[in-house]
Amino acid sequence: MGVLLLDIVTTAAILFAVASGLMIILGVMKLINFAHGAFLTIGGYAAFATTQLGWNPWLAIPFAALVGFILGLIVERVIVRPLYARPLDAILATWGLGIIIGQVITIVFGRQVQFVQSPISGAIEFLGYSYSTYRLILVALAALLAVALTALFYFTRFGLNARAVIMNEDLARGLGIDSTRVRLITFGLGAALASMAGALITPLISVDPNLGLPWLINSFMLVLVSGISIPSLIVASLILGGAQVVVSTYVSAILGGLTIVVLAAVILRIRPQGLFSG
Amino acid sequence: MAKKLLGSWAGSLAVAAVLGLGGGASAAETIKIGVPVGLSGANSVVAPSVVQSGELAVAEINAAGGILGRQLEYIVADDGSGAQGAQKAFDSLVFQKKVDVLISMETSAARNAGLPIVNRGRVPFIYTSFYEGRSCSPWLYVNAWVPDQQVAPIVDHFMTTKDAKTFFLIGSDYAFGRGMLEFTADYIAEKGGKVLGDEYLPMDGTDWTPIISKLKSSGADALITSTAGGAPNVTLTKQLRAAGIDIPYGNLAVDEGTARNMGADAAGIYISASYITDIPSAENQAYLKNMKAHFGDKLKTPNDLSVPQYEGVYLYKLAVEKAGTTDPQAVIDALDDVSFQGPRGRIQMNKQRHAPLTMYLAQVQADGGIKLISTFKDVDPGEQCPNL
Amino acid sequence: MVEQVQNGPAKGRRTAARRRSDLANVLKVSVAALVVLGVAPFFLDIYTINILIRALLLAALALTVDLLWGYTGILTFGQSAFFGIGAYACALVFTHWGFGAGWAILALALGILTAMAVAALVGWLAFYHGASPLYGSIVTLALTIVVTQIIYAGGRTTGSSSGLSGFPTYYWPLETWFWIAGAFLVVVTALAWLFVHSDMGRVLVAIRENENRCAYLGIPVSRIKILLLVASGAIGAIAGFGYAAFTNVVAPELAGFLLGTELLIWVALGGRGTLIGPVIGAILIDVTSSYLSGSLPFYWKLLVGILFVVVIVALPQGLMPEVTKIWRRFVPGARRKAEAPKLEPAPARGVVHGKEQPLTVRGVHRHFGSLQVLQGIDFEAKEGELLSLVGPNGAGKTTLIRCLADGYERSGGDITIFGKDLGRWPPERCVALGIGRKFQTANVFATLTVGECLRVARYRMAPPSIWTSDTTLGLPEAALRIVEETGLAQSLDTEARHLAHGQKQALELAMVLALEPRIVLLDEPTAGLTRVERERIGAILTSLTERERLSILLVEHDLDFVREISSRVIVLHQGKILLDGSVEEVVDSELVREIYAGTALNLKGDGP
Repeated sequence: MGVLLLDIVTTAAILFAVASGLMIILGVMKLINFAHGAFLTIGGYAAFATTQLGWNPWLAIPFAALVGFILGLIVERVIVRPLYARPLDAILATWGLGIIIGQVITIVFGRQVQFVQSPISGAIEFLGYSYSTYRLILVALAALLAVALTALFYFTRFGLNARAVIMNEDLARGLGIDSTRVRLITFGLGAALASMAGALITPLISVDPNLGLPWLINSFMLVLVSGISIPSLIVASLILGGAQVVVSTYVSAILGGLTIVVLAAVILRIRPQGLFSG
Repeated sequence: MAKKLLGSWAGSLAVAAVLGLGGGASAAETIKIGVPVGLSGANSVVAPSVVQSGELAVAEINAAGGILGRQLEYIVADDGSGAQGAQKAFDSLVFQKKVDVLISMETSAARNAGLPIVNRGRVPFIYTSFYEGRSCSPWLYVNAWVPDQQVAPIVDHFMTTKDAKTFFLIGSDYAFGRGMLEFTADYIAEKGGKVLGDEYLPMDGTDWTPIISKLKSSGADALITSTAGGAPNVTLTKQLRAAGIDIPYGNLAVDEGTARNMGADAAGIYISASYITDIPSAENQAYLKNMKAHFGDKLKTPNDLSVPQYEGVYLYKLAVEKAGTTDPQAVIDALDDVSFQGPRGRIQMNKQRHAPLTMYLAQVQADGGIKLISTFKDVDPGEQCPNL
Repeated sequence: MVEQVQNGPAKGRRTAARRRSDLANVLKVSVAALVVLGVAPFFLDIYTINILIRALLLAALALTVDLLWGYTGILTFGQSAFFGIGAYACALVFTHWGFGAGWAILALALGILTAMAVAALVGWLAFYHGASPLYGSIVTLALTIVVTQIIYAGGRTTGSSSGLSGFPTYYWPLETWFWIAGAFLVVVTALAWLFVHSDMGRVLVAIRENENRCAYLGIPVSRIKILLLVASGAIGAIAGFGYAAFTNVVAPELAGFLLGTELLIWVALGGRGTLIGPVIGAILIDVTSSYLSGSLPFYWKLLVGILFVVVIVALPQGLMPEVTKIWRRFVPGARRKAEAPKLEPAPARGVVHGKEQPLTVRGVHRHFGSLQVLQGIDFEAKEGELLSLVGPNGAGKTTLIRCLADGYERSGGDITIFGKDLGRWPPERCVALGIGRKFQTANVFATLTVGECLRVARYRMAPPSIWTSDTTLGLPEAALRIVEETGLAQSLDTEARHLAHGQKQALELAMVLALEPRIVLLDEPTAGLTRVERERIGAILTSLTERERLSILLVEHDLDFVREISSRVIVLHQGKILLDGSVEEVVDSELVREIYAGTALNLKGDGP
């Protein structure tokens, strides 16, 4: 039972970290970034580069964020900006972008699985159970991330502007907020978060050009169910991630893989605005 | 009108990966070897080594005067590691390039997709990949291992030297994964062991957490896994290590190259293979030397999936020479009788289209190297295609 | 009780009407295409024929994506699932049950029926009233994942990831398969062409352009979308069945998300909403990739990815319209101009007046979270009454209109229309009760012509044909008058987006009146109109109330206009009814002047 709870909490932490970048872009820009998976992949390769350069494996996390941020800014300017008025097309264009990123990574690094140094390995005794050290650290890092994002949105000028754009973009613009700039930075930030999450999960997964794809759809579902709020994303991660762990443990791991998608589709049918709003 | 224009337009665009290695022989005389292989998709990691291995055989044969005086042409086509890509690749090789034989390492999905085309085109097909077994076609021969040959060394070793009585099995949810583990479970039961649990994750699954928790709470003495190659294998191994699993761990799907890529996480894993680079035979040493000489820096480490490709080309050569012709039916009849002394030892595909093989049990070392633990001579493939 | 006897006369009119269809042209082109396909195998090598057979079947699948996405605006990732269902029906039956003509028919029927049932379920889930377009996409995406995982989990039955192959099938010569696939594609394309160019096809475009407006025109949007998905699913399943029977192989990727997105790429590059573009796009890209992917697997995919992004960003309509433009430049007279329908009065409906109160509102309230936008609204509207709703911004006028036109909108209270409870009916059912609503901003279908917009509005009264288009357009007298008096009659073949602002407003009003409503809800119908236009509209509204005894609820800011045409005025303030009385009582009251002057008021809703 204790292990089940640890599994649920650590799974939720990973889901939260992976989905947060998608949520921020959806919230501020009303845009689904289907290149989210590709940015996760970029994070994995940033971690790979860190290993290659012989840096401390923990440096992979800030390095991935930086790479993601810069790429995010470029992508926003070139591809996303012309599509603000066409949200469904933006899904397709960012999906195309994901294909491009995947192929460029393949051409540069090859298809093979890359070796990345893990910052930490093995298990420790926690609450009487022997549990994966890195997964426990991930919970702490996800909590830190939640706090940092909350601080960003509630205690900074950018956060204030971004919240204004979330609530009413026209009004925000009327009040002199440069919403174009807010969008630019938001996309950079979302890409940075995705990329950072890619580096964060690298010690648990294989680094190859398809790293991000399996995470894309689950993140997408989570964000739609949670709506735009950090606490509700945490709760949604716990509920959906928890359901996945429970189904995987007690029914079958194969059905577990479908849990988030199916549950989210049903929840959204009953509550189109997501679990927590309206 | 549009359709017809389209045809000629597409025809003019036709470009294929033609790696003509023979020197001087005119196209009409060459014997064409088609190699549908997963340059992209799941097999893309191992495919380049497979292509290289066959290239060496072709180069050696051509340098020695070819087969029946005809040079060999080696034609590679990407099958995308899946059914759809394989159909295109097989169509292209069989009907467009009109190859004389297909020799390749592929995923089971790609092989299954290709077989109907092989049947339609009546081309001998030497399959050089280990697989879940019992794929039968009048045109198919296999020179790599099946579960009956691979599983026993690991299970026996765990039971006798590690004193393991209870096992836990984890796999990817697909034909190879399930086929291997079902066989393993039967074998363990037959030997008096006990399987405490078998768990599967979809091919694209990434989170093994609940399964690992079950493994831990089961208290099994040993673990045997059979995932899809590449990502799932690496993901599972990393998460097992992160969870501090240290019971004996046999991996049915890892090859030497992947083990090296996994670094420290792979240390201690037991593998069972028909080829490891450490085989001391003269044939293997010569093969490794020639590979190094032929490909230099570009050499991909030879492995259990690539070496059978080399031997497959030679087996075809011997069969054509025995038949005295490249006529498909004559070659198929002759393939049963010829044997080749290659890097893996003596190979003859005379057991219901499959080959008895010498199997090696080895353990991955912390530096990524492989340590040979024991050798099992001429393991029989068992009943694979009783109707052929 | 209003007697709604529209069906009789409408049907009679329908048989008498002249119909136009592209049938002759479509037949000509189809025959030409069939001839080309018939002789093509004799000029092509085996390899090309082989890949073309598959490409032709996938093109039929891409066509269904174009119907759903290009025409109707449903961004679907899920057509591959239906393809997979058809393919697996074939493989499973032939592998496990038996092979032969009877089994083949059974497998095909099973595939089609399963696909249709799944499509109906998906449609029910995805296309409920008020669902966001994104949600529909999510459900189709989830569908591919679920179907693929079911196949993976099927063990030996479905062959799991390796799929099934080598099952008995018809080893006909390649030419035969090529002709079957080609004929199937031609037939499906021809039918789809007739369909999208019919009056019903215009309804699809109307749904894409403005789904909300469609619902408020009484068009059963959800049902149409579900039926379209079911039909598309059936076509997809047939294509999948053919694919499996020909290639003798099925694998989970046939049902997968990646094939679903690939279809979107083909459609987007070819040109969404053009039918021919996606078909050509699918064939060209699939065939080219067969030739190129062997030698350049990664660069080819990269190239397609770049092309896709460029097209989405810079050429959202795809490449087909560009080709058509060039074609038209060099071939004079190739431009097809939309034909203006001939206007005629629709036969009057027999309506029994005066038996029931048109509108009774009791205790209606509406809140958003803790914010009370409407509370304790009680009033009724009588026949022949022109009731104006006035009040400052934020008073709840538009919210009240919404509550009257959509049963979901109010938080509580009762609304009765001609004695029938409005309940929780969606807008299209409210229209059936006799309500017509005009939006605040002109809300028309941008890419449809004026004539087409009006015809779409006649959906309920004159159900559109799904194969042909009508050359005449019957409108009730009121709508006809607006169309004629505002000059729209001369612009019937103009696309609505090219209209001037005032004309758009007039068009929307005409569309609402074309519904033959008994209660008309008008949200600032004259905003942005010139004085002359406004007077004209005013006159029409007055005559509607007087001659046809309609009840009109008008939200209006212009008090002069209100004074001129209203028979009664309700003042809303802070979500409550402040005053309800005659024009003189209300418009001249001190209270109203104060409200409009912006004076802070804190009066309870106790009107005179």
